[in-house]
Amino acid sequence: MRNARGHLTAELRSAKEPTKEQLSRFAAFLEKKYRRKVPLEWKKDESMGSGFKLQAGSDVYDWTLSGRARQFQDHLRRINTGAEDILPLMRQVVEEWSPAAAPEEIGEVRTVDSEIATVTGLDHAQYGEILVFSSGIKGMVQDLRRDGLSCILFGSSEEISAGSIVRRTLKTAGMPVGSAYLGRVVDALGVPMDGKGPIEPETHRPIEAPAPGILDRQPVNAPMETGLLAIDAMFPIGRGQRELIIGDRQTGKTAVALDTILNQKGKNVVCIYVAIGQKSSSVAQLVENLSRRGAMDYTVVVSAPAGASAALQYIAPYAGCALGEHFMYQGRDVLIVYDDLSKHAIAYRALSLLLERSPGREAYPGDVFYLHSRLLERSAHLCDELGGGSMTALPIVETQAGDVSAYIPTNIISITDGQIFLESDLFFSGQRPAVNVGLSVSRVGGDAQTKAVKSAAGAIRLDLAQYREMEVFTQFSSDLDEATKRQLRYGQGLMRLLRQPQYAPFSQHQQVVLLVASLGHVMQDVPLEKLEDFRRGLLAAVEEEAPDLCSRIDMTGQLSKEDREEILALARRYLKKAFPEKEAR
Amino acid sequence: MERGIIAQISGPVVDVEIVTGDLPRLREELTVEKNGTLRVMEVAQHIGRNTVRCIMLSPSEGLSRGLAVDVPGRTIQVPVGEVTLGRMFNVLGDAIDGGDPIPPEVPRRSIYRKPPSFEEQSPAVEILETGIKVIDLLEPYPRGGKIGLFGGAGVGKTVLIQELIHNVAMEHGGYSIFTGVGERSREGNDLWREMAESGVSGKTALVFGQMNESPGVRMRVALAGLTMAEHFRDQEHKDVLLFIDNIFRFVQAGSEVSTLLGRMPSAVGYQPTLANEMGELQERITSTKNGSVTSVQAVYVPADDLTDPATATTFAHLDATTVLSRKISEQGIYPAVDPLASSSRILEADIVGKEHYRVARRVQEILEKYNELQDIIAILGMDELSDEDKRTVARARRLQRFLAQPTHVAEKFTGIPGVYVPLKDTLESFAAIIDGELDQYPEAAFYNVGAWRDVVEKARKMEAGEI
Repeated sequence: MRNARGHLTAELRSAKEPTKEQLSRFAAFLEKKYRRKVPLEWKKDESMGSGFKLQAGSDVYDWTLSGRARQFQDHLRRINTGAEDILPLMRQVVEEWSPAAAPEEIGEVRTVDSEIATVTGLDHAQYGEILVFSSGIKGMVQDLRRDGLSCILFGSSEEISAGSIVRRTLKTAGMPVGSAYLGRVVDALGVPMDGKGPIEPETHRPIEAPAPGILDRQPVNAPMETGLLAIDAMFPIGRGQRELIIGDRQTGKTAVALDTILNQKGKNVVCIYVAIGQKSSSVAQLVENLSRRGAMDYTVVVSAPAGASAALQYIAPYAGCALGEHFMYQGRDVLIVYDDLSKHAIAYRALSLLLERSPGREAYPGDVFYLHSRLLERSAHLCDELGGGSMTALPIVETQAGDVSAYIPTNIISITDGQIFLESDLFFSGQRPAVNVGLSVSRVGGDAQTKAVKSAAGAIRLDLAQYREMEVFTQFSSDLDEATKRQLRYGQGLMRLLRQPQYAPFSQHQQVVLLVASLGHVMQDVPLEKLEDFRRGLLAAVEEEAPDLCSRIDMTGQLSKEDREEILALARRYLKKAFPEKEAR
Repeated sequence: MERGIIAQISGPVVDVEIVTGDLPRLREELTVEKNGTLRVMEVAQHIGRNTVRCIMLSPSEGLSRGLAVDVPGRTIQVPVGEVTLGRMFNVLGDAIDGGDPIPPEVPRRSIYRKPPSFEEQSPAVEILETGIKVIDLLEPYPRGGKIGLFGGAGVGKTVLIQELIHNVAMEHGGYSIFTGVGERSREGNDLWREMAESGVSGKTALVFGQMNESPGVRMRVALAGLTMAEHFRDQEHKDVLLFIDNIFRFVQAGSEVSTLLGRMPSAVGYQPTLANEMGELQERITSTKNGSVTSVQAVYVPADDLTDPATATTFAHLDATTVLSRKISEQGIYPAVDPLASSSRILEADIVGKEHYRVARRVQEILEKYNELQDIIAILGMDELSDEDKRTVARARRLQRFLAQPTHVAEKFTGIPGVYVPLKDTLESFAAIIDGELDQYPEAAFYNVGAWRDVVEKARKMEAGEI
């Protein structure tokens, strides 16, 4: 209703022609509201019934029956549904309600593309606000231009057509959050996907929230045990740390994350798994796996599968993070897995290019670093004044042909507090988890490692490094002296020790026993192929003969010199029992 | 006074139509109020039709077209002077350490200033003593110069930076400004805590714009820290140390907004103005006749590509480079400075003196020779070497160990008290080693000690069985 030169005009629609007095009252209202004279035009519209509709600029005053009903509906929605007894509250709300002459802004779809729509009108729409299209599909404002706005679509663009009506919600994108989400599978907007009925949220959190500031944090000092010997011993992860899991496809990245979630059972940690651009069937299989092993009770899965719109894939990690923050600010420990951020970057690249932002390196937009840095910075170990909660992030990134120095991987490596690099050569040679010891690192977890594991793990990284160097150095030599052979065998044994099947996490005392025994060269002469049986037998033997020791390590996280001697003695005794013929040699 | 309205919003770039009065000049600050909080932006371009294009220094979420914009008629200003010491600031000069806000009567200065004129320049020809042996001897830092710190993760980059703050603040009465540009907030927290514990915070100001903040912040925070440093140099005639971690993020933030400003991308998507932006910042970091600003800048290498335009552009501005090497840190030698890859422009006989030059070059020669001999030793063993070479190897191994030095910052991890070695002692000690005066002491006595007297003392203790 704004004509070419920007003057405001108003249009009144009703079934009956208004009287002169009514018209002058409308004119007075408009003049008061817009602080200037607004030319008013009347149009006959039979569909209005007993009411009327006044449109001035992009503001609509809907005084028809349906308009007032919608106003009432909106009013009822504002009731705090968390309240125990809702009836008196409703009665009060209904009594208090009176129809108000409040304007409602509407816009009109101008163009629709596969992921974005441009809209005219909605002059006061905010950056990041959620809009609702007439078909019920939602969109988020990404660009506000002089002549309109662009928004990304959270649904299929086929259900939107040019010329249809768009309404504002006055809310920036938010995620309903609460404990009721535990055990559920939801989409990026918090809508359940598992067919188990609606979820009662406790509150809403904006999906884009500022990260905890510098003083809101405290150093990472408690371990987040993965149950994987290779990681807990060499690349320990602390609560509140960001540790990247990186590797080619099919190298067991998700398996590491999954094992970590399973290992949190009974440790009062909330786990959130965010699937971005994954096959729906893989997500279903993962959920099935989690629930079969009793891990869904403390886990939420947020899924934006490959079939979802790029906009949903783009907001999914932020939505999952908002959910995690809800628990973190309650003082709880949270583990969040983003699987995976390379697909997230690709979804964002698609949106950026469609929004006509110019491409940079590898056609990613310039702010692709900021895309991930502002997400991962929201993981923190909060200071005690804020409840001391933590959110540990395990982002996953897929590399191509083992190239960690590509753009997105190096970006994320420079954000996280370390990375676990999984290698396909190792994976296919049977070394699983396929952790590359040389390229993996954990920058802060060392402080978080329990004293027991720390002292037991000792120099395992250096020993392995020497073994690798020796392996390369000796690969062409045929006759090696006994000392070298011995060292090679020791290294092979260590590598074999770090192999661990999926869904079989080691507890703290098991890790300590294995590390002490192997670094004490007890397993030196066990044949490689028998090592797994030996490992199982040894653990059973120690647990049976020294249950106090095991529980003491688990409880206190300490390992005294005597404990170490005791473990070594037990291990030697078991070795004698298991391989009597070795002793004879 | 509210003089403009928001016309267009595209991520961190906002167009404002000026309704009354003159257009604000480039780099002037504009403010907009939303839900009781003031959001700040900075004019980047005039794009015609009474419209200015601005970069947000606050989040864009929740802004809408038609919001009224205030034009205060000034550029971003930060507080300067003694009041900044011991405090932590954001890019706008607001205290973010939970303490009292900075009082309004404290002088503030614009973050944009011209670099000192040619006439004011005082060429860097003087050594800034750091008390760290390997740096003072082999790659002396020029007072008022620019030092680049190249190092991967976990090789002790942060420890070295903190040790420099500690030593220079303690021994020189100089001030330090630490500027965190686009790095982890966790590191900011660690630094703040460690400064408070080590007692150097009273001589240090911290400015942070970390990686969770909008690109506009990361582009400007280096200038905010630099402005505080310049004040100490120009008004209080102090020697200032300016730490920037990480200068690469400054370039990166510029490239994030560049395309949104409508500029054509240059090589690998960087902004066409990359070299100018870097030059404007670096040219202000210079010594004048009043005082010196010495900057230590960490440089990140994206995609492991040393020819990346951002890295290459930084190289051109540096007077000294310290390369931290993983190979050396694995040997347990800290600070893990690679003595052969690091360099300094002022390591010349004319500047550092004949004796320093002789000792430094001789140390490098011995280490280089040892590197060459290592392959032969690996194949043939030590016995096959000539007596001359054996002596070189023995001295090189002593030198390598002697380059390690206990640091004050690491004291609480290692339990070994840190040492500050004056340049005179450093030269004396290294001269004694290369001239063979300390050949009789065992290698282990050279590891992790201060000057040559400590070697003698340690050797005596080892012999007596005390350690």
